[in-house]
Amino acid sequence: MAKPLKDIIRDDPKKTLGVTPEDAKISKAYLSVAFITLLVGGLLGLVQGLERAGLLELPAWLNYYQVLTAHGILLILIFTAAFSIGYLYAGFSHTIGGLLPKVRKMAWAGFSLILVGVALVVATILMNEASVLYTFYPPLAASPVFYIGLVFVVLGIWSCALGVFINYHHWRKNHRGEVTPLFAFFTMGVFILWFFGSLGVTIEVLTLIPWSMGWKETINVMVSRTLFWSFGHTLVNVWYIIATSAWYVTIPKIIGGKIFSDKLARVVVIMLVILNIPGGFHHQIIDPGISETVKFLHVFMSVSIAFPSLMTAFAMFAVFERAGRKKGGKGLFGWFTKLPWGDVRFLAPMVAMIAFIPGGAGGLINTSNQMNQVIHNTMWVVGHFHITVGVTAVLTFFGICYWLVPYISKRQLTPQMNKLGIIQTIVWTVGMILMSGSQHMVGLLGDPRRTSYTTYGDHETALGWIPYEYVMAFGATLLLLGIIIQVYAVFNMMFLATKGESEFPIGEVEINAENTPLWTERWSLWIILLLMVVAMAYVVPIVDFVVNAPPGSPPIKTW
Amino acid sequence: MKQAFYGLLLFSFLALPPVAAVMESIMIVHMHMQMTLLVLSGFLMGRFFQLKFPVFFKKWNMNGIAGILLFMIIWSFWMIPRSMDDALTIQVVELFKFSSLPFLAGVALRDSWHKIGARGQYIVFGFFILVFSFMAWIYIGADNQICNNYLLVEQQTVGWGSLFFGVILSFYVLQVLFIDQSQYE
Repeated sequence: MAKPLKDIIRDDPKKTLGVTPEDAKISKAYLSVAFITLLVGGLLGLVQGLERAGLLELPAWLNYYQVLTAHGILLILIFTAAFSIGYLYAGFSHTIGGLLPKVRKMAWAGFSLILVGVALVVATILMNEASVLYTFYPPLAASPVFYIGLVFVVLGIWSCALGVFINYHHWRKNHRGEVTPLFAFFTMGVFILWFFGSLGVTIEVLTLIPWSMGWKETINVMVSRTLFWSFGHTLVNVWYIIATSAWYVTIPKIIGGKIFSDKLARVVVIMLVILNIPGGFHHQIIDPGISETVKFLHVFMSVSIAFPSLMTAFAMFAVFERAGRKKGGKGLFGWFTKLPWGDVRFLAPMVAMIAFIPGGAGGLINTSNQMNQVIHNTMWVVGHFHITVGVTAVLTFFGICYWLVPYISKRQLTPQMNKLGIIQTIVWTVGMILMSGSQHMVGLLGDPRRTSYTTYGDHETALGWIPYEYVMAFGATLLLLGIIIQVYAVFNMMFLATKGESEFPIGEVEINAENTPLWTERWSLWIILLLMVVAMAYVVPIVDFVVNAPPGSPPIKTW
Repeated sequence: MKQAFYGLLLFSFLALPPVAAVMESIMIVHMHMQMTLLVLSGFLMGRFFQLKFPVFFKKWNMNGIAGILLFMIIWSFWMIPRSMDDALTIQVVELFKFSSLPFLAGVALRDSWHKIGARGQYIVFGFFILVFSFMAWIYIGADNQICNNYLLVEQQTVGWGSLFFGVILSFYVLQVLFIDQSQYE
């Protein structure tokens, strides 16, 4: 069990100083990159939305698929990675009492590698050499420089992951018999999943490089897709664990409650780490080459993720109810009104959690074979990941900023900034309801995703999609407004807000809570189980794809 | 006793005809998942038998060796392709699979695991790694169908799966040998 704060202050007052200035610099650098990327990626999102609705014609030097690729890569890969590293390193440093100097160097090395990677990737997209969409699967082939850029990004993330592993090991050696603080445990879970989840895509990209250079004539498309999704879906759950880290660790403190159960939170992390990677197969549920029985078995793997999610939902609502009742909430739902709705640090992640209800339900539809056939490759899917990533993950990230940025910048969250944050949350929520809602609906009517504006020769079905696409474009406009407010808020809190001390909210467990068992820290065992699950899940389709391989595909450039 | 109930629940689920049919339709799932889960269900139910018949276990499995030998024999028997073929074609053999793996192998493993001590456990791991390596060699290398009910490609899949399991198990043993938990706990 993590020590209560008052004990830490008594035993080792240095720890309460939190992030050291050197560590804070790392987080500030990563967060700055994250929010600059968000601004650029968001702008591209609006351009994309307007073009899709036929409201904007792009100039000859910029096409829809370039914009789509850049929007996806910048937001899904770079924004989330940079934010996550900035946030996790700050919390890790705070809870374990500062980073080791060599770990700090590794974080900076990671930063440089990611920047080089982004520069290479963006340059090739701008030169129209890499309009392969953000999933970059073959047979679409980009310039080799694009893939090399991706390798740099992955190496940057690995450098940060390795840093966390080294520091974790060091901390445990010096704190025998203690469990790591809950936040540090979440950080370990995230980086382990990130590291093992990215192995597949790294192998894929390393095979794409010689293929795109012409050294290798063909490539096995199905193997590449499978390796991609072993990473793609894991990444989704990396964001999800990062969001839940804030829900479990910081929200109880913000609302004046207690952590429901330290052990339960750790079990959720362990389950997500072990079960996660094969979840990627539900993205291939319509793919040829995988037998229906194997797909059916994989539905279990995907749905098994719902189990820890339901545990989280239960634990969080228990925390809310207890905190609300402590503040005088009466009756069945009286506690609900007692929650601090006027505090952006609570409101934003709370909306994010609520969005996970329709988001999760949509996910279950996507993962079911028959229902997937209705929505496959339609705008529904775009709507689904905008509500899950765009609200559940990203709105939690936005909420985190309102205490994290003042904390690392030694500034304060002023009432005005809190108000701005509330407005931002409302703008974002309304924008996302309009955009994601219309995407879901028009998807059911058959509007395809990843397609630039077309009326299919004024076909009446296609014309019927247009009103929804207008709503989508309007929602996207609101979302860009939300991004502008958020980026302003972040940089204001980082450089301009009133100086002072801010708290890093770390929830405490109930006084009579049972101790967290040390077996939760046996990461080597969890990694072995993760590998076992991966071996079992992947061996059937991969051997089939290789042994019964069709003729491979040469590189294809459709643009 | 909660564990025993979960074990029974798992066993009942695995015995449902549609579940058994799906699992047995893929060779590697039949061999490495259904059979492992059957052993696991017996392992969990073992608690019930240990509490109900303590004298029996004390008398027949005092140092755990008899139990672990029984477990290894039953498990090895089910790794033979012919046994799987028989289970699919002869109902009585299928019944034997559903009774031997949980009640003879799983229960025996539960009762013996702590009794055989760390050294015994290393021997069991070593045995598993050897069998998995041997299976990988045979199943990947064989040019002929060695199991009538499954295609050659499925056979190779079992070979690769066994290879991965052997390697991962070796990693597990290495981490148990080289990570000194007392440094942390």
